[in-house]
Amino acid sequence: MATRHTPKTTSKKSPTAKLPPALEAIAETVIEHTLPNGLKVRLLPSDAVPTCSFYTFFRVGSRNERPGITGISHLFEHMMFNGAKKYGPGQFDKTLESNGGSSNAYTSNDVTVYYEDFMSEALETVIDLEADRMKSLAVTPKMLESERQVVIEERRLRVDNEIGGLMDEELSTLIWKAHPYRWPVIGWMKDIENITREDCLDYFRTFYAPNNATVYVAGDFDPKQALALIRKYYGGIEAGPQIPRVLDAEPEQKGERRAEVRHPAQAPSLMIAWRGPAGDHPDTLTLDVLQYALSVGQSSRLTRALVYEQELAVSVSVDWTWRFDPGSFLIGVELKPGADPKATEAALFAQLEKVAKHGLEPHELEKAKNNLAAHLYRELATNNGRAHALGTYEIMLGSWKAGLGLASRYQTITAEDVRAAAAKYLTPERRSVVTLVPTEIA
Amino acid sequence: MKTVKRSGIELRPLKLPHHDVRVLPNGLTVHLIPRGPLPLVAVRLVTRAGSVFDPAGLLGVGDFASRLLRRGAAGLTANQISDQVEFVGASVGGFANEENAIVSLSTPSQHLESMFEIFAKVVLEPDYAESEIELSRRRVLAQLSNELDDPGSLADRALSRAVWGTHPYSHEARSGKADYEAFQRKDLVAFHQQRLGPAISHLYVTGEFKAAKVMALVERTLGGWKNGPAQAPVIPTALGIAQPGEVIIVDKPEQTQVQVRIGAPGVKRGHVDHFPLMVMNTVLGGGFTSRLVTEIRVRRGLSYGAGSGFEMMSAGGAFNVSSFTKTETLTQLLDVALAEVKKMKSKGPTAAEVATVQRYISGLYPARLETNEAIAGALADVVHYGLTDEWISQYRERIAAVTVKDAARAAQKHLFEKDRVIVLVGNAQKIAPKVKKYGPVSVLKPSELE
Repeated sequence: MATRHTPKTTSKKSPTAKLPPALEAIAETVIEHTLPNGLKVRLLPSDAVPTCSFYTFFRVGSRNERPGITGISHLFEHMMFNGAKKYGPGQFDKTLESNGGSSNAYTSNDVTVYYEDFMSEALETVIDLEADRMKSLAVTPKMLESERQVVIEERRLRVDNEIGGLMDEELSTLIWKAHPYRWPVIGWMKDIENITREDCLDYFRTFYAPNNATVYVAGDFDPKQALALIRKYYGGIEAGPQIPRVLDAEPEQKGERRAEVRHPAQAPSLMIAWRGPAGDHPDTLTLDVLQYALSVGQSSRLTRALVYEQELAVSVSVDWTWRFDPGSFLIGVELKPGADPKATEAALFAQLEKVAKHGLEPHELEKAKNNLAAHLYRELATNNGRAHALGTYEIMLGSWKAGLGLASRYQTITAEDVRAAAAKYLTPERRSVVTLVPTEIA
Repeated sequence: MKTVKRSGIELRPLKLPHHDVRVLPNGLTVHLIPRGPLPLVAVRLVTRAGSVFDPAGLLGVGDFASRLLRRGAAGLTANQISDQVEFVGASVGGFANEENAIVSLSTPSQHLESMFEIFAKVVLEPDYAESEIELSRRRVLAQLSNELDDPGSLADRALSRAVWGTHPYSHEARSGKADYEAFQRKDLVAFHQQRLGPAISHLYVTGEFKAAKVMALVERTLGGWKNGPAQAPVIPTALGIAQPGEVIIVDKPEQTQVQVRIGAPGVKRGHVDHFPLMVMNTVLGGGFTSRLVTEIRVRRGLSYGAGSGFEMMSAGGAFNVSSFTKTETLTQLLDVALAEVKKMKSKGPTAAEVATVQRYISGLYPARLETNEAIAGALADVVHYGLTDEWISQYRERIAAVTVKDAARAAQKHLFEKDRVIVLVGNAQKIAPKVKKYGPVSVLKPSELE
């Protein structure tokens, strides 16, 4: 996979712009280091509370899978808690909890992310635990079978028995014909049932290497000591092979795509997505502004129009998630019982056309930017939030500094930029529509 | 750095920000907690006016009226309030839970003054315009109906009814279509005039600001607030649970998975056994290495999640176990869960388990006090439940002081034997015959919970 860099072709952004004092204070504390084996380390000391958060970002997600083993990234995320050489089955969480900590993880299309929150005294134990499983995870047949059942139950919870999950799965197969974003992160049921131990071991060797990982530590700790400990425990892990490139073979979309999900429900529902740019494309930030102007707050365009004025919907949400490869600008509309999906679609499209024709009002543009800036501060309020936010910025934008500087980059976006982005991306040719058609409730 | 050592746990002192309290002449208690470093402020107004005090036939009226506060006030329309507040990246809103009505504001520090002025208008002078009432009513009714599609929230709603029965703690779970259709403007005005008021309210302001300036701002905007009760109303004590021994199925024939809840009596907040119970429950179903997770998820792969917890309120509490599994393995999951509760009740936790969870709870406790909102919430709980600041500053030490015997005794005393209710959301035809062994079975349609 190519390293992500912020594009150098845009002239609008000013990466050297001065940060606001509170963000500058955070930036000044960050210590960066890369071990000889390629592990990137970022330390964010702060003594507000006597705890730490330890994040490990692996650049692997369902994007790196292939048909037949879909869901392996997520299944593997579960397996990472099931024992390694030093800390055997059940020992990871037991050791962590008995040292005053807890852990969790998530898998997305692009990345797999692990974290621990813990009392500061447990830092060495946490580093030992994380290094142990990166170095020597054990994938035993027994643990694999048991964890497979857990994941199958998770799939039943989130997809098979959840209307939003059913629709989302249908939508992805509409948007993407060739790209791995097509399949769900949790995987197809048959694939989950059939992933082998060999698949897992191969996956581990390829992707769970220090050169494919970035570690963030935030909280109350001594950075010198932390770096020494990280060297001690991770230093002996060998770098892995070069990560296989993911080919984006997605063909151009030639027209609107539609699907229905028929399921017992109280009301119809819509999920509509437009193919957007990749996360590192300059238009991505413009679409962030558009997302906020359309859906954040009661005064946002779509909420005001569809929920409060036309009363077609109970709620409207816009999800513009940055991805490594071109992603989707997704609008979800929860209709009122009895509302007509066709009429709701028409009302929604009319709102989007207005933006594509006339852009945003100056105060709407300003409001979106203010909210994006406030959101950044709120993300940074906890150790966990700081480690997660800066790590995510580094993975998606190429550097955490670019993340802290986002507010000033948003400032350069004009109403005309937003209009042009809406006109470019929110077209029928880029659109996929999934409609929930309620069947009778027994 | 100074450390406290007990049960082998070394705890670094918890730095609680300085906390200023002042009662205004109208009775409003103001708590100022200035802290940085981020330029943000959280404001929280807490009034003892929650759903327990909603009158029969109008259940949910307090929450409805609280949410409507920001839909027009003191000459500002709903849209004007939204525009002004959201323009600067702030948010303002109200809601009610069982015991309190809460209005909150979150804002960048630089806009605190102008945002607080809007906040005060929303609190003091809501319009309750007929058009906004109707608009909101239609939306809430639609939401209520759509929620019937979510098996997890159906299970929680059914459980709450089965546990609290006719006690006012059930109001939230029982407020339904008929109530929302009955609300009139005069009911909302009555809520605002008679149930909200300065004498029974506490205001918490946390974040980056100058205390003297904010105190003056509060006095200027809320100092003239009048009306409302002189004393906080009392909540009747809740004893036991309403439907002990029963099995209640909410029928959703399309489900391939069953949502499972077990409800039983608990204790009220601040109970003398609080800390032993916290330790014991964390062993049973609190953390990720709890017995329930180990037995249900790790050893048997029956579910993705399982847990237990005590819900503790002023006048009573409940204990619950929650999980889910595929239809075919329902009784296996129930048997495991019930056996684990029984085992804990008779034998208590082991010394090693107690030591583990003490570190687990204590180690992570400071992370509960990281944001302005969390600090305001924690202080509000102390005030609301009549506790002292030591509840926060000594929390870890009190957890550390719990002995294995204490935890075992708490398990023996408080965990259920027969007085539990089982709530299941799934395909009734398939599951009803299998669960008769747990008690008399009744089947509800989701629409009966609307």
